[in-house]
Amino acid sequence: MRKPALLAPLLATLLLFGCGGSEAPPPEPDTTTDDAVTLEETRFVDVLPTYDSVPLPDGLEWVTNEEDEVFASPEARRGGSFRTYMLGFPLTLRMVGPDSNGGFASYLRANNSVGLVAIHPNTLNFIPMLATHWAFDDDGKTVYYRLRPEATWSDGLPITADDFMYTIDFMRSEHIVDPWYNNHYTNNIVAVTKHDDHTISVEGSTPKPREEILYEYGFGPMPRHFHKLDENWVVDYNWRAAPGPGPYRISHVEKGQYVTFERVDDWWGNDVKYLANRFNPDEVRITVIRDMNVAWEYFLRGELDTHPVVMPNFWHEKAVGEQFDNGYIQKIKFYTDNPQPSAGFWLNMDDPLLADSNIRLGLAHSMNIERLLTTLLRGDYERLKMHHEGYWDYTNPNIEPRTFDLDKADEYFAAAGFVSRGPDGIRVRDGQRLAFSLVYGTQEHTPRFVLLREEAKKAGVELNLQLMDASAYFKQILEKNHQIASMAWSTSLTPRFWEHYHSANAHIAQTNNITATDNPELDQLIDDYEDATDKPTRVALAHEIQQIIHDMGAFIPTWKVPYTREANWRWVRLPEWNGTRTTDVLFDFMSTANSTGLLWIDEEVKAETLAAREEGRAFDPVTITDETWRIE
Amino acid sequence: MRLRPQTVKQWRRFRSIRRGYWSLLIIGALLALTLVAELLVNSRAIVVRYEGSYYFPTYAGFMPGSQYGLDYDYETNYRELAASFAERREAAAASGAEPPGNWLILPPVPYNPFETDFRDDSFPPYPPSLSTQHYLGTDVAGRDILARLVYGFRLAMAFAVILLLCNYIVGIAVGCAMGFWGGAFDLIFQRLIEIWSNVPFLYVIMIVASVIVPNFWTLIGIMVVFGWMAMTWYMRTSTYKEKAREYVDAARALGASSPRIVFRHILPNTISIIVTFIPFSVATGVTALTALDYLGFGLPPPTPSWGELLAQGTANLQSPWIVTSVVVAMTLVLLMVAYVGEAIREAFDPKQFTFYE
Repeated sequence: MRKPALLAPLLATLLLFGCGGSEAPPPEPDTTTDDAVTLEETRFVDVLPTYDSVPLPDGLEWVTNEEDEVFASPEARRGGSFRTYMLGFPLTLRMVGPDSNGGFASYLRANNSVGLVAIHPNTLNFIPMLATHWAFDDDGKTVYYRLRPEATWSDGLPITADDFMYTIDFMRSEHIVDPWYNNHYTNNIVAVTKHDDHTISVEGSTPKPREEILYEYGFGPMPRHFHKLDENWVVDYNWRAAPGPGPYRISHVEKGQYVTFERVDDWWGNDVKYLANRFNPDEVRITVIRDMNVAWEYFLRGELDTHPVVMPNFWHEKAVGEQFDNGYIQKIKFYTDNPQPSAGFWLNMDDPLLADSNIRLGLAHSMNIERLLTTLLRGDYERLKMHHEGYWDYTNPNIEPRTFDLDKADEYFAAAGFVSRGPDGIRVRDGQRLAFSLVYGTQEHTPRFVLLREEAKKAGVELNLQLMDASAYFKQILEKNHQIASMAWSTSLTPRFWEHYHSANAHIAQTNNITATDNPELDQLIDDYEDATDKPTRVALAHEIQQIIHDMGAFIPTWKVPYTREANWRWVRLPEWNGTRTTDVLFDFMSTANSTGLLWIDEEVKAETLAAREEGRAFDPVTITDETWRIE
Repeated sequence: MRLRPQTVKQWRRFRSIRRGYWSLLIIGALLALTLVAELLVNSRAIVVRYEGSYYFPTYAGFMPGSQYGLDYDYETNYRELAASFAERREAAAASGAEPPGNWLILPPVPYNPFETDFRDDSFPPYPPSLSTQHYLGTDVAGRDILARLVYGFRLAMAFAVILLLCNYIVGIAVGCAMGFWGGAFDLIFQRLIEIWSNVPFLYVIMIVASVIVPNFWTLIGIMVVFGWMAMTWYMRTSTYKEKAREYVDAARALGASSPRIVFRHILPNTISIIVTFIPFSVATGVTALTALDYLGFGLPPPTPSWGELLAQGTANLQSPWIVTSVVVAMTLVLLMVAYVGEAIREAFDPKQFTFYE
């Protein structure tokens, strides 16, 4: 399920840069009142809503996929406790409604939204989850699902077609006070139909290729016996833990301090091919630690089991010393093959200077991103080539990014009339300086942009850094008041050109076309891409569109991080293949949607390690670099 | 110029308090040096002799490398130029040719506070080193810490002094008026100030910083709007006190106008209060700017700033030279300012000169 578009770039930034310590944690809830956290009771509705069924059409061709390899390790053992942390306490346990889009929501979503189907993390084929089989209608926008009859909620009640029917009513209700979901389940998912207790169909708004239909129009069910929808729902359900289809249930909530999940012992997924041997810890405790550097100290003391070390200073400077030399804590760098968030500089072509393509291209050749990557970022980050890189077939393999080249920059700027330099070395044209403001929202990026600014002076360009508070930063960009914006868009299954490059979204506020791209030729290609339903046509169009976007030069791609780096105490175990092609986080206990949750806790190794630490015995230090899925 | 005997006495008394006196001399010297910081801490050479001509790049405009026979058109890197001159001299000496008479003098700290200096074999922050002339090391972006400290100091002191002037002009004017006129004016202003003092200043800064990127003058503006009240109370009290003295009545009897009484008689007699507060206001100004920069609501990057260095230092405790430099610098400056303040207070203490019967 996609998150609301506004938050997507923020989330992408977090993923990319390892959740910066500057992320403000949400304010602590008032712990003095309303301490009643309802966890045991899961039935609040006396008369369950039921729905009529409609006969299935004839001639459906049911498909499933049991052929792909499993990716969880058969050696995995259930049991133990996994300890991790969050930077702030959630404001609610609801999945929708006000305040429900904080960091904690990702756990709730992962656990409660076990989808109908999922994408196999290595083969990228669809695999059965809650649905055992699926079939496509000829209209190109409807898909039929057969539900797994043994699937139950975490409280033991069966999951049926009625729950899916109810989900639509629920998501469209004004009582949930969540316009994004109201809209998504009205305008993207148009209808859900019950055919019998374990067969449903979902109709989307527009015809799409089959992989897109499964991805876009799939969703997880909401328990109809739990939610009593009325005007008090938002308040009443703020601290009620909903039963879900996933492997965990919330077992304890200590407001402001921690949340624990416990494994559903007889979970229906235990024997399902692609769910078996995953989600292994019996208990997971997520403690609030409001500062990443403090959390790191907890981790070194062994009070947290794993910690991300994606950021260069963590990997090179913090993740060293006794615990690592003695092999108690291990490090792993794992390359992945995933769509890359498009981090870089977005030039607003409504700006009079940036409307000139010579200036845009000159600017691209003035950005010494290679130097940034090799010096400040220690060669850890890699150069992003284009928007929509890493979308497998959809990515145009012939596009290379523009590199720092003072001669070319000089050529382009001279063509735009910026020939002479002022007393400060910045180019001028009729008294107008070649100066731009670069707006960004993450303090951690300041040293990077300082370096680019100093290098750009060599080309006679001035970059004025404009660091803004995150919300003001998004506001400025979405209202198209920026000149140059540093921003990373999150990823999707296939490239989305319409929202970023179609003229329908240009020059107006609150759209994702932040470059003011307005090109009739491009519009036509994008329309064709949106209408095409077979993959080869779409791929060919995507390549053509990407070439035009590259030639336009309104996006200067900066960096990508095509790997995850994590540190773990040696008792946290992974399969021998460590992770999957599309793993976001290796040491992830849940995250059903991303098909991980492969780790397990080895209690014997834990006892051995703790004893060794007590006695000062050492193991061999371990630093793994896994390039199985590295792409070049 | 003839000084009033009382002023002479106060000055002698101030000088006799050694640590306050020396602190004043040191701070004064530091401030004087920062006025010519471009000659001491800068990446531009002080003087270049090239092909028979002299160049003074410090205060001149941008000079491209091509001017000195280098193969680029951007700002000359004078450290590299020095190396290239030395190379050419050696080459000439080796071949027995007449050495070219090119030379240049670099400032003692040959870095400006913005440039990022990277080495091929390691990554910043670099520890202090004499050989690279990063005497206090570099920060995480490879910028020279000493350069940033010096320019940050100049900026912080300028900020504090301008803030102080603005605050005092408003505060003294309002306070004097309240004390002089008294009555309803005094009452209304007292209430206004009480209400205004309760507006949470930090929130206002945060809100403003989220809407616009604050610059030097907007920060001063905001801080004056919320900072002028402190001085009003003292000025009001002392004006009330002075107004009741006989010399004011005498002046009035001689027909002096109100402005004349305030500016010629009352204000000079309250000067000791104002002077006593100055050092402490300077310290407050420096601390305020540093705190705002530390929190990220201060001046925009890459402005050299102590608060920004402090934030970097605390986030990178494994590179202790960052946090040590800025903490030591800040402690010393604030300590010296406090010593000056203490000495002034002693010097102006009326108990030294008054007999109570």
